[in-house]
Amino acid sequence: MLHLMKYDVKVKLHNFNMLFWPLVFPLLLATFFYFAFGKIEEADFETVPVAIVEEQGQAADKEFLEFLDTMEEDDSNLIHVESMDEKKAVSELKSKKISGIYYVGETPTLTVGGVGMGESILQSLLESYLDGKQTMMKIAENHPEGLQNAAAQMSDYQDMVEQVSLGGKTTDGNSQFFYALIAMGCLYGCFIGFGSALTLQANLTALAARRCVTPTHKLKLILSEMLTSFGIHFINIIILLLYLRYVLQMEFKGEMPQMLLVSFIGCMIGVSMGIFISSISKFGEGVKIGILLGISMVCSFLAGLMNSEMKFVVERYCPIINRINPAALISDAFYCINVYDDPARFRRSLIILTVMSVVLLLGSFLAVRRERYDSI
Amino acid sequence: MIKIENLVKRYGKLLALDHLNLEIEEGEIYGLLGPNGSGKTTAISCMLALLKYDKGTISIFGEEMSPDNYGIKQQIGIVLQNVAVFDELTVYENIDYFCGLYVKNSQERKKLVAEAIEFVGLEEYIKMRPKKLSGGLLRRLNIACGIAHKPRLIIMDEPTVAVDPQSRNRILEGIQELNRQGSTIIYTSHYMEEVEQICTKIAIMDHGRSIAVGTKEELKSMIKTGETVTIEAVVLGTDQIKDIRLLPHVFDVKYDEQVLTVRCTGAKHNLIRILNYLQENEISFGRVFSELPTLNDVFLEITGKELRD
Repeated sequence: MLHLMKYDVKVKLHNFNMLFWPLVFPLLLATFFYFAFGKIEEADFETVPVAIVEEQGQAADKEFLEFLDTMEEDDSNLIHVESMDEKKAVSELKSKKISGIYYVGETPTLTVGGVGMGESILQSLLESYLDGKQTMMKIAENHPEGLQNAAAQMSDYQDMVEQVSLGGKTTDGNSQFFYALIAMGCLYGCFIGFGSALTLQANLTALAARRCVTPTHKLKLILSEMLTSFGIHFINIIILLLYLRYVLQMEFKGEMPQMLLVSFIGCMIGVSMGIFISSISKFGEGVKIGILLGISMVCSFLAGLMNSEMKFVVERYCPIINRINPAALISDAFYCINVYDDPARFRRSLIILTVMSVVLLLGSFLAVRRERYDSI
Repeated sequence: MIKIENLVKRYGKLLALDHLNLEIEEGEIYGLLGPNGSGKTTAISCMLALLKYDKGTISIFGEEMSPDNYGIKQQIGIVLQNVAVFDELTVYENIDYFCGLYVKNSQERKKLVAEAIEFVGLEEYIKMRPKKLSGGLLRRLNIACGIAHKPRLIIMDEPTVAVDPQSRNRILEGIQELNRQGSTIIYTSHYMEEVEQICTKIAIMDHGRSIAVGTKEELKSMIKTGETVTIEAVVLGTDQIKDIRLLPHVFDVKYDEQVLTVRCTGAKHNLIRILNYLQENEISFGRVFSELPTLNDVFLEITGKELRD
């Protein structure tokens, strides 16, 4: 058995399809995602330039000017404020050098030159200032003794607001892409399973025929192929997880044993899908690879690999697909560990994946264990 | 050693083996000769218990062959028509892998692998992967993978297809050497020269049947043709062709593009009689050949078609 496994591992490690698609491709895609999303994030937080124009004949709202100073000096570098006369400000707004103009009189107003992230930020700042000012005025009127305390609390406003999930863990808008990517990596184990099954069925390749006429029991050959396929692909996914965590610095907040459990079952479904597709039909090798690639990509797409909204769209209009799509189940299990903290949903995903794997493996086993064929 | 009785195999409506009967004795190099599609590979696949068959029995070493008869499989080596090795493993690893499917003891296996490599002359290539080998070397590797465990019975299905003449000769010599070392060999081919060169007994197959069995001498004696005389650059009239056809022992005359082909039954002085006729009638001629019957002649006479068709 060790003899078989030693060479099965060597064969798999030297086979392009068995190495590139399940290991190298997900690593490349992860790197691509990292740089693509990194740029989006940088773009999102670009400092917004804004002009201040003091209105003639009105007393300027000093608190608002102080508020803007505070925001400018904040570590987030959200805005950059510059005082100028109205003519110059309008000119710069037209030439898009600034995103808006705060007219500071008794009540500050905002003029923007378009619609976008910067304009929205300026609008939000103004609204939050006006809301805060109104609140403070009401407190001053009704509970003047609490004014100092209220002012202190409002100054902490930003620190109090953080986007959290129901499970209490911080969400990351991009994490859905990476969970779908890991799911895709798991499904790409189908290429390893596919290659294994090709060398087990005498009606598919001469190599398999040669192995089938030896005195080595067919079950031993099957067992060796399956064990090495699962083992190698599990290591592939561990490498992917380590790469995401330590090279791309992605934060996994779930426990590592649970992550590994999902990865292992994900590998099982990927490899068994490959063995199954390879075993059940007599299509050519190219056609079968096309089928496997198609299934993996469609499942990954529906799980949110290309568009993070897709999984939620599917959940809204046809939730059954998310219950049977292995990529959606794998990414959902990762999401359950890292975001939702929902053990019931986590267990459900794993049970469905395990049942699917067992069914595929059983079907594959029945097809592969045949020892005599109608034609070869 | 091997007995096949009334073997019938159908692929849908196509009858691939039609009550095939074969009996192979220990120590023979048994040739299965026939054109493509005659049922040679199907017969081999049934023998190896890879194919289901509709009727008949196959016994090897006195036991019925079945997929789980590992005792029989242990004593068989196969060399398939298509090269069946792992592209991802080196020459040494491939031979070691396949030998390991028969021989569990690693020390013994090491020795057998070394002997197989030496036998096929791949010593200089042991670290190379199959894709780097030429067609001839690849065929030798294919053979080494099938014989490394020193099987009692070796089944070779067209092992010289697409091989250069030099490698082909080396392979054929190797097969004879394996036979001298004690292996019984079943050799399928559609190259009659190969079969004639190395096989001690031959079964000619057509349409899934064995149409003639015997040594090459026995097969040739089964047919009418004893000698074929060919004369080039000869100009003959219709009457002269008729005269030649009437010569003693002549039973077939063909005249095409100034080439005369005369088939005679086995008798002395056939050539001299034909040449005497040409001289007496002052007919000039070019090169002259006289050939003894080939297996192609045997096939031609029995089936009415060329073996190479």
